[in-house]
Amino acid sequence: MTFGSIDRRKFIGTSALAGAAAATAVNPGRLRAAETVRIGFLAPLTGGVAAWGLPGLYGCEIWAEQKNAAGGVDIGGTSYNVEIVSYDNEYLPDKARTGAQKLINEDGVSFIEMLGGDTMPAVTPIANRAEMLVSTLLPSDLSPDTPFLVAPAEVHPIYNLTGVWWMAENMPEAKTAVICAQDDALGRPSVATYLAAFEAHGIEVKDTIFFDIATTDFAPVMTAMLAHKPDILCLDTAYAEFVNELCKQAFVQNYGGQIISCTADFYADIIANTSEEFMEGVIFQFPDFDDPALNSEGINFNDPNGFFQVYNERHPGQWGAVSWEYASILDLWLDGAQKAGSIEPAAVLDGMKQGGTGAHAFGEANWWGEELFGIDNALVGNWPVVQIQNGKAVIVEFKNIPEWWGEHSATMIKHFEAMGEMWYQRA
Amino acid sequence: MDFGVFLQTCLNATYASSYLALVAVGLVLIFGVMRVVNFAHGELYMAGAYCLFWVFYQNELPFFAGVAVAVLAVAVVGLLLERTMFRPMKDNPLGGLICSIGALLVLQAGAVALFGVRKKSFAGPYNEAVTLFGIDALTISGQRLVVIAFAVILLGALWIFLRRSRFGWALRAVAQDSEAAALQGISISRISMLAMILGAALAGVAGALTATIVPTGPYMGHPVIIGAFIVIIVGGLGSLEGAVLASVLYAFTHTFVTTLFDGTIADITGLVLMLIVLVVRPHGLLGKPERA
Repeated sequence: MTFGSIDRRKFIGTSALAGAAAATAVNPGRLRAAETVRIGFLAPLTGGVAAWGLPGLYGCEIWAEQKNAAGGVDIGGTSYNVEIVSYDNEYLPDKARTGAQKLINEDGVSFIEMLGGDTMPAVTPIANRAEMLVSTLLPSDLSPDTPFLVAPAEVHPIYNLTGVWWMAENMPEAKTAVICAQDDALGRPSVATYLAAFEAHGIEVKDTIFFDIATTDFAPVMTAMLAHKPDILCLDTAYAEFVNELCKQAFVQNYGGQIISCTADFYADIIANTSEEFMEGVIFQFPDFDDPALNSEGINFNDPNGFFQVYNERHPGQWGAVSWEYASILDLWLDGAQKAGSIEPAAVLDGMKQGGTGAHAFGEANWWGEELFGIDNALVGNWPVVQIQNGKAVIVEFKNIPEWWGEHSATMIKHFEAMGEMWYQRA
Repeated sequence: MDFGVFLQTCLNATYASSYLALVAVGLVLIFGVMRVVNFAHGELYMAGAYCLFWVFYQNELPFFAGVAVAVLAVAVVGLLLERTMFRPMKDNPLGGLICSIGALLVLQAGAVALFGVRKKSFAGPYNEAVTLFGIDALTISGQRLVVIAFAVILLGALWIFLRRSRFGWALRAVAQDSEAAALQGISISRISMLAMILGAALAGVAGALTATIVPTGPYMGHPVIIGAFIVIIVGGLGSLEGAVLASVLYAFTHTFVTTLFDGTIADITGLVLMLIVLVVRPHGLLGKPERA
């Protein structure tokens, strides 16, 4: 490979690793790892969905750098340096397929992290053939045909029910809702989840509006939503810039009710585009990691406040929903590898699922999913409900998803079936 | 649909008509004079948006300074495209089109390299809601009103320029029959350059004015150019008045269908509208049939 073919990120990453290695060499207090384990990062780094890929890569690079600076990771008595090998799939299935082949056959990775969604069907046959352990942020990718696919960080979209649950308990006056979503693999299962959660908590859904992913002007979408005069605007799992534009339009069209959304990435920008008063009380699902609630017992993410600080120093303004998630999956992968004493993907998978539980970032969780996904490869436990208070995201409560599932599973399955999102309905 | 929603939808559609007309008229100018289907026109719109982002948001200069920079910078980009790509390819019917696709990719990659992949969503100086005529249902952001006002003023000025100035007459003459115009002593090269500068500047101003309304990103030109192509086909290739009329027709149809049904059905409706026009009136609403 010529120097000219190395992109800037790889060059900086390589330089950083080289710098870290050099620093380690002259620092007798640090150990040097003998081997290298490569982790593939196959997610959108450019294009419209990059906000759910690139910030995650930044988090993984910090995770790997911290592990390597501490002498690497000890697996089965061998010390490994961790190298993150990224491939930009642009959220395109063809690129994802090519990326998976490259990462497995050329780069020799031991594990691949993905966003999932529309790109997953292209990768699944390759991963199955190679028996490669792959993670997704979207459990709706799981099915009995994906035995090597795990969803260990987030149970999108199931955790969205926790926001509705909390809202029903704390805002009983909100009785009607309108949902809008982009019509894709992220939006549709999320709509099913919100429909189930609203039904379970006695909130009437007046309308569900799907919009095309190429939409740029959200004024008509918002006008259609507000025509129902809802108490709650549900923005589903809209992409980051969609949430921003929808909020801008709700603000301009004088909406004064409650807003609930899966994400509110870069919410400071949304506040700047609307007002602090308008965004006050907005509920979503992804905390800032400087939240004091993350220092409580049972949280399994190592030094969340410190991670948040380093992240923001390196990548100011880039913190979003996925910034910590891919890194937290690396924690679970490492835990599985250490239990297995191996970096072999199949052994790591067994290690991860040992005892049917795992140390999820938000507390001990169960491997779950048979009823909804046909396979128990999603790690489910607590999930935070986050609210914007005085311009800052604050965790207001952790809710336990299995507890809700015990009472309302039939409702959720009904809506997943109606939306054609059950594992046996997906092509 | 109650009356309030109807009024709000009309307002939304008026805004959509405005920026679409600015983009489509520029595209028609370039096609009319140069016979080049400029696929990079959406990226000129994108470039205008990034100029505003750079001047207004990053350097905190006045909003209209950003608009002025966008107009000038994108006009220069248009000039460069004309001189380096379209002019050398003027005798190759497919050459200009293929070059424009290349320019599209270069401009997108340039935007990624300069500004990153994350879309920029930033507030304009006239972000506050304005209620028109004291009717709550007629609420629109001041920023959208600025777009509507600019579209009316610029398109009006262009209309006067084309009909009252010598350059305008020359431009129309070349668009009607370039060989006859050349025989009258009109410089085709100069007029092509002028058409490209004007067309690019219109795309640039549309991008700059809407940069604080829609997310500014490297790929933001894609949906705009699709809408603009539908508009110029419906309006009639080469017809400026047709482009304006079709912009209004398309934007109102798309906006009302989005509000009543959803955006996907609205996209399909827009394409069906184009197909109907192609079948019933192949030369477009105000276009002239090709001479045999």
